[in-house]
Parts: sequence; structure tokens; C-alpha cells
Amino acid sequence: MISNDTALMAHLLRRAGFGASRDELEKYLAMGYDGAVETLLNPSDPGNMPDDLIRRYHVEQSELRDLAGSAAYWMYRMISTTSPMEEKIALFWHSLFATGYAKLNQARSLLNQVDMFRRSGLENFQDLLLELSRDPAMILWLDNNENHGTAVNENYGRELLELFSMGIGNYSEDDVKECARAFTGWTLGNAEYMAIRAAKDSIWPYGRIAWHFEYRDEDHDGGEKTFLGETGRFNGEDIIAIIVKQESTARFLATRLFEFFAADKVTEAGEKVIGEMMATYFSSGYQVRDMLRTLFHSDYFRSEEARFARVKGPAEMVVGAIRMAGNYQNPALGIEKVSNAMLYMGQGLLQPPSVEGWHEGLEWINSGALVERVNFAAKELSNVKSPGVRSIIDRLEAGSKNGVIEPTDLADRCLDLLGPIQVSEDTRSVLVDYATRQGDLHLAGHQPGDEAEQRVGNMLRLVAATKEYQLA
Amino acid sequence: MSTQTQSPSIALDYVKTIGIVNNGLNGRGFANPYDTAVDSDGNIYVLNRCDPARASAIRVGVCNLDEEYLREFGRGNGSGDGQFIWVVAMALGSGNRLFITDEYNHRVTVYDTGGNYLSHWGVAGSGDGELNGPAGIAIDSTGSVIVVDQHNSRVQKFTDDGKFIAAWGSFGSGEGQFNLPWGVAVDGQDNVYVCDWRNDRIQKFSNDGEFLAAYGEPGYGEGQFQRPTGVAVDPEGFIYVADWGNERVQVLGPDGGFQLLLHGEATVSKWAEDYFASNPEEKAERDSANLKPDLPSHLNTPYHVSSQTEPYFWGPVSVTLDSQGRLYVAETNRHRLQVYRKR
Repeated sequence: MISNDTALMAHLLRRAGFGASRDELEKYLAMGYDGAVETLLNPSDPGNMPDDLIRRYHVEQSELRDLAGSAAYWMYRMISTTSPMEEKIALFWHSLFATGYAKLNQARSLLNQVDMFRRSGLENFQDLLLELSRDPAMILWLDNNENHGTAVNENYGRELLELFSMGIGNYSEDDVKECARAFTGWTLGNAEYMAIRAAKDSIWPYGRIAWHFEYRDEDHDGGEKTFLGETGRFNGEDIIAIIVKQESTARFLATRLFEFFAADKVTEAGEKVIGEMMATYFSSGYQVRDMLRTLFHSDYFRSEEARFARVKGPAEMVVGAIRMAGNYQNPALGIEKVSNAMLYMGQGLLQPPSVEGWHEGLEWINSGALVERVNFAAKELSNVKSPGVRSIIDRLEAGSKNGVIEPTDLADRCLDLLGPIQVSEDTRSVLVDYATRQGDLHLAGHQPGDEAEQRVGNMLRLVAATKEYQLA
Repeated sequence: MSTQTQSPSIALDYVKTIGIVNNGLNGRGFANPYDTAVDSDGNIYVLNRCDPARASAIRVGVCNLDEEYLREFGRGNGSGDGQFIWVVAMALGSGNRLFITDEYNHRVTVYDTGGNYLSHWGVAGSGDGELNGPAGIAIDSTGSVIVVDQHNSRVQKFTDDGKFIAAWGSFGSGEGQFNLPWGVAVDGQDNVYVCDWRNDRIQKFSNDGEFLAAYGEPGYGEGQFQRPTGVAVDPEGFIYVADWGNERVQVLGPDGGFQLLLHGEATVSKWAEDYFASNPEEKAERDSANLKPDLPSHLNTPYHVSSQTEPYFWGPVSVTLDSQGRLYVAETNRHRLQVYRKR
């Protein structure tokens, strides 16, 4: 019988991370739920594959000329991190503040944006919006380099309000114009040269040149502006200070966090939690970490209702399976194929489909993507040479009587060690029937890759193909 | 640009930049160069590591100081005769032979300078003569081939047809121990200098492996290193180090004392001039840009500075000397060589 503590911790780690191997789960269980929440929310000195090793073996991830190597670089980080929440919050912001490679042709700057999400993503939302507004990838993505004191381009100002903070219906067209005016002169260094290189996808003569923020006071409209009922000679910082005071901003942010970390659908009980997160937003001075703490400690989040209430996104699916299998712990040929697998499932890192990011939840699932998801996870988890799978086999043997495992136990223990994953009775009976056809499993004296081990691999493959494995 | 001690015994003048990124599968330009060799006729051989998108055309390109692109050779990506997967380094031996290490195939492949595949030797393993990730390679005055056997944490010496002669080293940070070593060079007395990459130092050995000295420690200051990758020693004993993680080159005196730093000062190569001649609008914007910008504090690491400062070294992975005292610095991320000359 799986304890509620174990199931709850696994649930937390699916949301604040990418799921957990049993070793990882036990480490967090030893902290207790409160301790685990604090550890996850306060990443300090995270361990991950060191940059020097990545750069030594992967020239493409050092230079970052192309998209494939750049996405793979982030994959390594997600796969190897000991602070999964840091990557998860970066992924959240990457989806919300969606910035794509195709228009920019500048992966280093996109990855610098992701670094910013890691650095500031759990901190003060006002500071984060300020950093976002100064982010050169975002500036070029939404044309703020074309937003001049004498010729306003509203693109960034509009999306800042509509997609990044308040949501449509909570401001006027005049507010958009005034907002845009306040961000005139916020551009990137060597903007004209970098813009032409981006537009031409120029790598010549010596490869990419990364970007940095530049403020051009002479290009800023310093005149009086009226924004959301307040009037002054506002610059961008003043606009953001007004935005973050709005209730609509609190609701927008709380809802998006809830949908990413708690459930695809907001129920009545979910609405109550969102209200609590909004209250925390104001009482904490706009701290994202505190909002998430409120969420993770809520009765709703801890209840069975919230478990498996989200469809895993492709990043969660791919990274979760690799972490469980224990693969790619060192630089290896083929990592770009893993990030490509995510792309085929509908989520290419650094290439969101538009500024609106990805449509999540059930929209992740279509027949093509489902086949990719199942095939990928099944392949990773059925390879009995993978260290994580070997660890599962060892645990199965250690928990058996003299190495003998009855078919029902084989199904239940595999479901447990891959999650624990809760499945319907129908799903469970399919797994048990499959195991029963081959009788008791004899693991005593097993050798790498032998028939007994392969039976475990086959059961893990079958679990990876269940409907329930698609859920987080 | 260089930074020197108050009374350096050596001076280097910037000569020129050779190169342009090659985004295709052949022709003029470089694709993530990892090492160079220069023959007595002044032909410059550039070992292109190539990223995965261009791995099918992994190759050696040949040019000269006048920036003429002469030819290229290789048999593509793989483990067949003459093929490569992850090339690391190259050394020019007698008989116009180029010895090229491949850290994925665990072997040394030999071509002649005309581009003809001759042989390969080495098998994966940890026994005498077996290799696990061969990296740096150098040839001493007797023709013996010194190979850095990175994952076995040792240096091995072979005859030029791959027969095992000697090995030394083990994993660790003590004298004569290594942590993922990379580049190697020999001096005029056949002493062996090894870039002890993850220990951030250069170790000097006699030709038969006796530990003589270690230079450097982890850090960003003068005489300190971050992951040194390449080393060369000139006839006077000056030691040139590709201080890769610090995105710079350091020159040490024969006693290992700091002499000077190079940060790189690349100019527009002849091939780059050709590009701009046919892209005048891009050239016009470039001419009004500041290619050495001041950067925000969070981007002030050597890697980030170099990613935004085109004239500086970015990924300076190897240093090679020619017989005229010229120094060739190969930059992986910038697909070019910056050439200096000893005054």
C-alpha cells in the first residue's frame, strides 16, 4: 500500500519538477512536505552538468549558432539539475513570455533570457517585468527597437498588458499607446546592426554576436502620459509600477501559475486557491515564490482532486522519462535528437508557436503527438541498460521474497516505482493480465539484459504507454 | 590587445585574421576549428571539428598566410577508414604526415598533407596502448607520438605507427596526475607540456614522464587559468597557453612566470571583406556599430563578454607556432585564426 505521504510528495515533484526517481523521492520525503516545498522554492547552488564539460564536447552548444544545439543545451540543464523548480519556473516564463528563435536568429540571447527567468523567476514580479522589458531578445521579438520617441511602435506595450500582465479587457487602447510611449528608447546595443543581422539570419563573418540592453535617452518620449488613470512623465519603470498594483494583474498571474502548477481546469475549489494566491501577491509585495508557497500548501493542491489533473507538457514528458531512466548524465552524441523529440510532440524549446506561447492541457494531445510521446517514454523506460531502470530492477529484487515476484506485484511495483502512478482498474487489469501470461518473475541472479530483466523492461514500457502516464 | 608584466621579456605583434564561418559542407572558411598545423612551406592546416549539422563534412582545410584557400580533405563522418566523429587535435610529423586524434573513435588517424588517408591506429580501452578519448597530440624530435589519453587520465607515447612505448599519469590533482587533460606540446629538449584541463594548470614532464613542474592555478588573474586547452613552446622556451575558459591566451616565461596576456583583436579577413563587398547595407550598419561595447554586470563573464565582443577571442582552443615565430590562435566559436608574431 502506497502511503499518502509518498503519493503527495510524488505529486509535488511532478509539478515543481519533472517527476522523481525513487532515490530522489526518498530524499525529499526525508525533508517532510514543508521542507521539500522550501527546498524546491529556494534553489541554491543547483548542481547540473557543468558548462565547461558541455562546451568541450559540444561545439554547437558553445557557439550556439543554430537552434538545435541551443535547445539541446537547455535540455541538458533540465535533465541534470538538482534544483528542478529552477528549470520548471524558467519553462513557465518561457511559455508565458514566449520569445522565439525564428525571428531573432540569436540563441545566446534567448538563453540569456532563460537565465534571467532562472535568476528572477521566483522573485518580485515587478522586477521581473522590468528585466523582461530590458531583455534584448524580447525587445527585438516585439519590435521595441522600432519604438522611437518620434514614431511609436505599440507592439511591446500592447503585449505587455495583454499577454504578460493584466489580460485583455482591463485597459483601454489609450493605455496601450501611453504604455508604448513610455518604453520608447528601450532598445539593444548596436540595434541597427543587430536588427539587420537578425533579419538576414547573418552569421557572417565570424558567427553570432550576442545582444545586450541599451537605453537611448535621446530616443525616449519624455512627455506627460496618462496611464490607467495616473498622469506623469512616465518612463517604463513607472508604467510597470502601475501595472503591478492592479487586481487584474494579480488575477492574471495567479491564474497562470495555477494552470501551470496545479490543474489544467480551474474548478470552484481552484478559484478559491487563486483568490488566496492573489492575496499573497499583494501581501508579499508581488513575490512569485510566496504565491507558489500558498499554492503548494493549499488544501486543494494537496488533495487527490489536484493529482493527475494536468496533461504533461512535452518537456515534462521527455525530461521526466530521461531523468527516471538516468540517461544523458554526461555529454553524449545525440542529445539534439532528444530536444527534437520534444519538437515532434509539439513543444520545441526556444521556438514557441507565437507570442501567445503554447496552448497547454489537452491541446498537447493529438494522434501524432501521442504516438511520439508513448514511443519516446516507452523506449527510454524499457532499456534495462539505463542506470535508472537498473535501479528499479534492483529495488524490485530487494523487495521480493527470494527474487520471486508474482504478476500482480510486478504490475503494482512498477506503477509504484515510476510514480507512484494511480491508474484505473481497467488499466491495472491490462498490466496484470500481461504479467500473468508469463507467470512469476524470477529475478534472483539476474544478469544485465537477461530475460528476467527484459520482462521488467517490458512492464515499464507498458506502463509508459498508459493513459495515466500522460498525466502529471 | 595585450596586457603585459612591467618588464616582459617577450613582445607579440598582431598580424592579421584569417577565416570566415563556413555554414555549408565545403569550400572557403572554417567550421568550428579545433586545431591547426603549419608546414615549412607556410601551408596552414585547420582541423574543423564541425557541429552536428555539418558533421557529414568533417574535414581539414588548407590555406596560407596570404589567405588563399587551397584545398580540403577528409572522408566524412563515421568510423570507417579516414572518417572522423569528434576530432580534437592534430600534429605534423615527418614525411608530411598529419596525425589527428578522434576522441569518439578512440584512435589516431594519419593523412598525408596532400589529403591522402594513410592509416589509423588505437583501440578503445585502458590497457597499455589503448585509448579512451585521445585529445592533444604532439611529436617529439625522435618522431615519437605523444597522445593525451583524457579519460584514462594519462599521457601515452607511441611510435609513429602506433606501437606503445610508455605511459604516465593517473586521475587526481597531485603531481603527475590529471583531470580530463587536453592539449600537449614538446619543447626543444623534448620535454612534454600537458594542459591539465580540469585542474587549471600546465604540467611539464621529461620525455619519459618524470614530473618537472606545474604552472598555474584556477582563477582569472595573471598566471591563473580556466580550463587551458592548448599549449605551444617556442625555441626560447616561452610557453603559450590557450586559456580557453578565460577566453584569452597567456604567455609564460621558460620558468613558468607570467609574461603577457592576449585577448584578441580580430580584424576583417580577406574572406570577410569579400562578404561585405557583396553586402554593403550590412557593412554600413557594422561600420557605425561599437564592436567593443560595455556590458551589463550579469554578462561580465569571459564567455559572455566574448559572445558580444567580436574582436575578442571566443573559444580560443589551440595555439600553434610556425618556424617564423608566428602564433596562430584557433577560435572555435568564431571560425577564424588570429595570427601574432614574436617581435
